[in-house]
Amino acid sequence: MAADYFSFTQKIFDPGKVQQKAEALKGIRVLDLSHMIFGPVAAKFLAQFGAEVIKVEVPYQGDHWRGATYWGKYWKHSNPLWNFINHSKYFVAIDVKRPKGKDLILKLAEKSDVVIENFTSGTVEAWGIGYTQVRKMNPKVIYAGLSTFGQFGPNRFFPGWDLLAQGASGMLSISGHPETDRYFKIPDFYGDFLPGFFAGMMILFALLHRQRTGEGQYLDVCQAEILMRGLFHFTHQSVAKEELGRTGNIDPTMSPSGIFKTRDQKFVALAIGTDPQFKSLCKAMNRPDLLDGEGMKKAAVRLKPENARRLHDVVKDWVRSQDEKELLEVGRKFAFPLSPVMDDLQICHDPWRRERGSVVLHDDEMYKKLVLSGPMAMLSKTPARIKWLTRPLGYHNRYVFKKILGLSEKQIQDLEKERVVGYWDYRVGQRPPVYYDIERDPIFNYKGGEDH
Amino acid sequence: MQKRGSGKKISEWSQFIADLPTLEGKPEALENTLVLDLSYANFAGIMASSFFAEAGAEVIKVEPAEGDPARVMSPFGMNVKGVGVPFLMESRNKRHITLDLNEERDRENLKQLVVKAQVIIETFPPGELDSLGVGYRQLTELNPGLVYVAITPYGHYTDKAKEFRKMPWADLTSQAESGLPALIGDLADAPEPYNWPTRAGFYAAGYATAVGAATGALVALFYQRLTGEGQMVDIASADAYASCVGFPPTIGYVWKKPRPRYGTLDYGLCPYGFFKCQDGYVAIACFRDQDFRAALKILGLWKLEEDWRSLLDRITDDINKVKELNQKIEETVAGYTYQEIFEKFSAYSVKAARSKWKGGGLPVTTKMLTPKEVLESEHWRVRKSFEAINHPTFGIFTVPLTGKMSRTPLRIKWVSAQIGEDNEYVFKKYGLKKESEDRRGERGEQ
Repeated sequence: MAADYFSFTQKIFDPGKVQQKAEALKGIRVLDLSHMIFGPVAAKFLAQFGAEVIKVEVPYQGDHWRGATYWGKYWKHSNPLWNFINHSKYFVAIDVKRPKGKDLILKLAEKSDVVIENFTSGTVEAWGIGYTQVRKMNPKVIYAGLSTFGQFGPNRFFPGWDLLAQGASGMLSISGHPETDRYFKIPDFYGDFLPGFFAGMMILFALLHRQRTGEGQYLDVCQAEILMRGLFHFTHQSVAKEELGRTGNIDPTMSPSGIFKTRDQKFVALAIGTDPQFKSLCKAMNRPDLLDGEGMKKAAVRLKPENARRLHDVVKDWVRSQDEKELLEVGRKFAFPLSPVMDDLQICHDPWRRERGSVVLHDDEMYKKLVLSGPMAMLSKTPARIKWLTRPLGYHNRYVFKKILGLSEKQIQDLEKERVVGYWDYRVGQRPPVYYDIERDPIFNYKGGEDH
Repeated sequence: MQKRGSGKKISEWSQFIADLPTLEGKPEALENTLVLDLSYANFAGIMASSFFAEAGAEVIKVEPAEGDPARVMSPFGMNVKGVGVPFLMESRNKRHITLDLNEERDRENLKQLVVKAQVIIETFPPGELDSLGVGYRQLTELNPGLVYVAITPYGHYTDKAKEFRKMPWADLTSQAESGLPALIGDLADAPEPYNWPTRAGFYAAGYATAVGAATGALVALFYQRLTGEGQMVDIASADAYASCVGFPPTIGYVWKKPRPRYGTLDYGLCPYGFFKCQDGYVAIACFRDQDFRAALKILGLWKLEEDWRSLLDRITDDINKVKELNQKIEETVAGYTYQEIFEKFSAYSVKAARSKWKGGGLPVTTKMLTPKEVLESEHWRVRKSFEAINHPTFGIFTVPLTGKMSRTPLRIKWVSAQIGEDNEYVFKKYGLKKESEDRRGERGEQ
């Protein structure tokens, strides 16, 4: 390895320089009509890379996730867990069920490159803001309709979210121990977040196509189908003609593998993929005998169920005789996959993640300091960034209506009186923190001019 | 009642949606895009390049002569003619060639490809390709527009990345380091090992890493098409899952303690999960108070309403409290069949939707299906969510596909999975130099 490689990479990825670098999606306007997690995450992903994302909510109600914190723990009158779903967006509140509200949304859609919604199939069409209506005024629009079961097929009208998508896709049935009757869901709304990023990927395909041809299109983004795309179990079923079922902590594609308890009562994960890795493991365990006989040097042989289980038990005993710290050092030294089982607190305070920029301590003008996740991918020239945290309901009404739609103060006040547009009510999750002087906020009271 | 005229709108929509799944005559989003996939023993890389291939890019997977070890990574070794199940599933629309990057001639061949490529994906230890003269620094000189995607456990920068640079990829270790198994598993009072951290039963971290890599690469490709400038895209698989779901860092900061394993309970809502019924497992998921009230009415548990009325009564930080409510739901659901629950819920939802009273709640449910049952489902058959492949070498098998786009749908055009299967095509098309004629003899050998 060239000696200066890491000083070169450190320079091109310097997290201190992120805010000064270019934004790849600058100039792309996204109208985010979605709520909860699945849709908002797709829009957040585009916002991270510089798109101007306008999130539309129902006045005096807002996105249901505004109030949905864990364990009743609010933070500065907001839901801290809403920030990594919706940061860096513009927050407007428009009532789609009033004709003037519908018109406002259509005007925004006309000036947008991308529209994202995640209501049950047919809902936005019935409201008059669906793809068939928007494409008439904006034929180049990329309109992403996100739903659990998709826009066609017999189950299209079934509502759903993460939990239901996990159940309907087969994902729920494959985790845990085979001899138990308890099925654990994949936590943290994986079934919303992963499909949300997948939707972002489909939108980028559409943007790249439009960049080349000028054509817009409609995307039927199906949550359960996206979860199915990540499982090899269907192909396995078609080839093996039997269900793979659950395999507990053994990853059946790696042998040996498992999650094991150490002498000092910690947990580590270990999974051997290749033949050289297995050799290293045997050396580290001082068990050269394991390489003898019946082709154990070959992954294909080690993966056979009886061998996979036997090796799992060998590693289990070895791990039980060592402390976590020693094991991690052995894994590093002998270069086979071994890692700690980390929890929320360890991830939050992991120095490597802070240095890398995948866990970020953000200092926000309204909410001050909060730790939240950074992007999955680090880009050397156009990195993702956090511009601001979430904002109270309707916070950017004036900014968006004046700057993008050219409405006057008088017109906005009339819309407010008719309750076509609106703001927060008393509920936590919607309103600004008590210490914050919203009346002096130049964005909330936007008069014109400056970009924010 | 729908307003007059809205019927017409719906029919325009119906017409549009009926035409949506058609592939015929539709272009592909990434026509004229060349992607090189050098991933080695790393399914995150392999999956990332699959998405490019589904969208129409020419994807060339480069392997050493003995093949990528990922070919063998398959459930309990299950394979078709030496090719494992996950590898076969991800071999859609790709070209498979062999190059020996330790040989000068093949490094020149790689450079020859890089000059024409837009994207390269590699998963070697950081610095390894650089020391061979074909890393980001050197390739970007040849092709300033190149998007260079690197996937490794700890990334290509930071001190830890340097110290752990030789650590290989595995999905299970990526899951563990991303905080996933710490949250799956039974309650602390359950016996060992059921209360241990538990693995998600599929490549949960690998899939997140792949989507993270592909989305990052596409953002870079979009910028490249605007400005001509390429860049490096760095993914850390030990971290991608945590960045995808986002909960662990913020929970750690605000709550100042980690969440314990919660068994089949939920951290945010109760009841929220799958409950055992007479013939399977059924979802009972109450998000809002009105959904909870609806579920109680349907299940004949209205007497519980007073004690558990609002979301604040059902906050799940007191585990013994929510266990009590959860257990009552468990006991009741156990007396029904899935069909009974489904019909009760559906009838209630239809009634509530028609009612002028908005507080009716929307109880929704579904049955937990196994992959086998999913394959038999009429809904996914209509949506063509699975494609049956009939391959001359690998026989008949099924693969999942999604990505229904009205103009540029994702698609599967062919499967090519043998080592060096496309050497001849690729070497000729891109003018690469052969070692000798017997390189072609490697085709089809396992």
